[in-house]
Amino acid sequence: MDLREKLNILGDAAKYDVSCSSSGSSRCAPKGGFGCGCDAGICHTWAADGRCISLLKVLFSNACKYDCAYCVNRRSNDIPRATFTPKELIDLTMEFYRRNYIEGLFLSSAVVGSPDNTMELLVRVVKELRTVHHFGGYIHLKAIPGASARLLFEAGLYADRSSVNIEIPSDSALQYLAPEKNYESIYRPMNYLAERKIGYDSDHARHSPKFLPAGQSTQMIVGASGETDLQILRLSAGFYQQQQMKRVYFSGYVPINADKRLPAISSKPPLLREHRLYQADWLMRFYNFRHDEILDESNPNLDVDLDPKAMWALRHPEFFPVDLQTADYESILRVPGIGVKSARLIVSGRRFSRIRLETLKKMGVVLKRAKYFIYHPDTPASLRRLYPEMVRPFLVAKKRPEQLGLFDNFVPALPGALSR
Amino acid sequence: MLVIHYDSTFDGFLSVVFEIYRQHLDVGDIVPVRPYGVAQSVPTDLFLQPFRVESDEESARRLRRAILNLAGEDVFAVLDAAFRSEEPGVEMKIFAYLRKLFAGDDPAYARNPTSEEMLPLFCIARSVRREQGFMLGAVRFCKAPDGMYIAAVEPKYNVVDLLAPHFRSRFPNGRWAIVDMVRRYGICYENSRTQLVSVADPAAIAGIERADSVARMWKSYYDSMAIKERLNPELLRRCLPVRYWKHLPERQVDASSLVIGGRNSEKRGDNGLGGANLPSAVARSRSIALTHAGT
Repeated sequence: MDLREKLNILGDAAKYDVSCSSSGSSRCAPKGGFGCGCDAGICHTWAADGRCISLLKVLFSNACKYDCAYCVNRRSNDIPRATFTPKELIDLTMEFYRRNYIEGLFLSSAVVGSPDNTMELLVRVVKELRTVHHFGGYIHLKAIPGASARLLFEAGLYADRSSVNIEIPSDSALQYLAPEKNYESIYRPMNYLAERKIGYDSDHARHSPKFLPAGQSTQMIVGASGETDLQILRLSAGFYQQQQMKRVYFSGYVPINADKRLPAISSKPPLLREHRLYQADWLMRFYNFRHDEILDESNPNLDVDLDPKAMWALRHPEFFPVDLQTADYESILRVPGIGVKSARLIVSGRRFSRIRLETLKKMGVVLKRAKYFIYHPDTPASLRRLYPEMVRPFLVAKKRPEQLGLFDNFVPALPGALSR
Repeated sequence: MLVIHYDSTFDGFLSVVFEIYRQHLDVGDIVPVRPYGVAQSVPTDLFLQPFRVESDEESARRLRRAILNLAGEDVFAVLDAAFRSEEPGVEMKIFAYLRKLFAGDDPAYARNPTSEEMLPLFCIARSVRREQGFMLGAVRFCKAPDGMYIAAVEPKYNVVDLLAPHFRSRFPNGRWAIVDMVRRYGICYENSRTQLVSVADPAAIAGIERADSVARMWKSYYDSMAIKERLNPELLRRCLPVRYWKHLPERQVDASSLVIGGRNSEKRGDNGLGGANLPSAVARSRSIALTHAGT
C-alpha cells in the first residue's frame, strides 16, 4: 500500500473528529529546528463541507478492537485498514508544514492491542518530532481512554493540546452504544491531565518545559441519543469550569453505520441544532452567559427559529432597552446584534461622542436585530418598552414564499384533449 | 483645485500631505500612480489641475513624527493599515482625518475611534488586518529545484511585506520567498535576512507550482477530508473566497489532468478542465497559466 493511499484511508477515518483549532500555543521555533505556534490560531484551508482544516488530522491506525455503534472504524465494519509507520507520518507532517499547508499535527488512533500500547505509539511519534527533528509546530494529541498516567504525562510534555472525547452526552447512552466504554474511563485521563496542568502552571518557572500550553478539549455527538440541549449545555459548562477545558465541540450525528440502536441511515445530520448549540457555547465563553440562563427545565431545548441570544432577550423584556451611552459593557454584550468587537468600540467611543444610529450602522452592528433592544433619543415612544410577542416576528427569518407550479392542479376541460 | 499624483507608497503619501501644508495647496483629490495594474482607469476630473509630488524621506519622517506625537502609535498603525487597502479615495479619507487632527479644535479628537472621519478608516483597517491574518494560512510554498520554498499569492490588499515576521519566526533556518503576483514584488528570506524583491517574470513561478509531488498528496488528503453528508459549497465560498483558489493546490483540478502539457490543453481549451466543477473564473485563470507555460 503506498503512502498516498494510506493517507487517504487514515485521513478519511479521522475526519469525524471535529476539533481543528490551532490556538492557544505560542511556542517558539526550537533552536536548529523550525515551526512555531500562533496564539490566535491559523486556519489554512476549508474542506468542501465548509469546515476549516488547520492541522494534518489523521489516525495512526484504524484497526480498532472496539465496536462502538456510532463510529466508522468499529471492528465490525468492512473497511480498508491501514497503519502508518512513525517515519512516514513524521516525514509527511514536516513536508506539509514546510509548504505551509498545515499548522501542525492532529494525531489520534483507533485502539490497537491495549490502550497503553496505542498511547505509547502516539507518544513515540510526537516525541521524535519534538526531540529529534526539533519541530515546533502545533501538536494535538488524543489521549486514549485507559492509558496509564506515565504515558499521559509524557504526552502532555510534547503536545500542545490534548483531548479525550466524551462522545455521547450521557453515561447510560454511551454504555448502550459503546459497550467497551464508560464515563469513568473517559473522565480519568481528562481529570488527570487537568490536575497536572493546574499543578504545572502554578509552579511555573521561566524555563520549565511546557505542559499542554493549549489545554484540553473534548467532543460530543449530538442527535445520536435522546439528550436535550439543556443536558448538553450543562455538561459542557461543567467541563469549562471543572476540567478547565478550552473548547467543547459538538458534532451533529452523521449516519454512517446501519445500526438499530441509532437513527436511521437515511436521516439528515442535525446541522441546525449543532449550529444553535455552538451559538449557545459562544454565549458561555465570550458573552458571560451562564448555561442556566440560556436554558432551564421549563424550556430545555434551543429555539430553532431564533438564535439563543435573541431567545434570551425575548424572555427578559425587563432587561431592555439598554442605553448605549450609560450601560456597562456586560449589558451591551447582551443586546442581540451587538458582538464583542462592536461592544468594545461602543464603550471606547462613547467617552468622546454620543453613539448614534448611523455610527452603529458604520460599525457593523446588525441594526435589524439590535434596534428593538437599545435606547437612544431617536427611539419612538412606542418602542421604549419591549413587547416580546410584537418583536419576535421581526427577528424570525421570513419563510420564502413558495413558488407554486402553474399546472400542478390543472384539470383539462376536455378529458384526453392533451394526449391527442 | 488640484489633483495630486504621487508614487503610491506610504512615504509618498505622507510627503503629499506635508507639501499640502507647506505650500497651502488647495487639494481636490489625491491619486496614486501605480507601477502595476490598470493604468489610471480613474477618470481624471476636468476641473482639477494635475500636480505631481515626489516622495521625500525627510518630509515623510517629519509628518510621521507629528502624527505619532499627536495621536500615538496605534492610530498611526490604523492609518497605515487603511492605506494598504489601496481603495480608491482612501487617501482623501486619511487626509480628512489628519486635517481635523492638526486643526486641534478638540484635544480628545485623536483618541476617538467613532469620529466621523476615523470610523470608516477603522473599519477598512480592520478588514486589511483580517486579510493579513488570512494570508498567514493561505500562503502555499512549493519547493523549487534549488531547494528554496517559493509561494505565489494574490492578496486583496497590499499586505505581503507584513507577512515577513511570522514566517521568519516559523522558518528561521530556511530559504523562502513570498511573491505578490498582482503587485509584482515579494519578500525573500535567505541567510537570516529578509529583503524586498521585485518580480520580472511571474510565469516562471507558475511553472514550479505544478511540479511539486507533495502538492498532489495534499490535494488527495484534502479531498478525503470532506464529509459528503455535510457538503456546503456556500459556506466554503464564504470562508475561502474563490479569488484565492488560483494559488491553492487543494482547490485545483486533479493534478493528472494538468500534466498533459501546455500545448495540448491550450488547443482543447476548456475541455481539459471541464471535468471538475470549478467556477469559470478559476478555470479561466488556470488555462491562462498553462498558456504561459507552453509559450
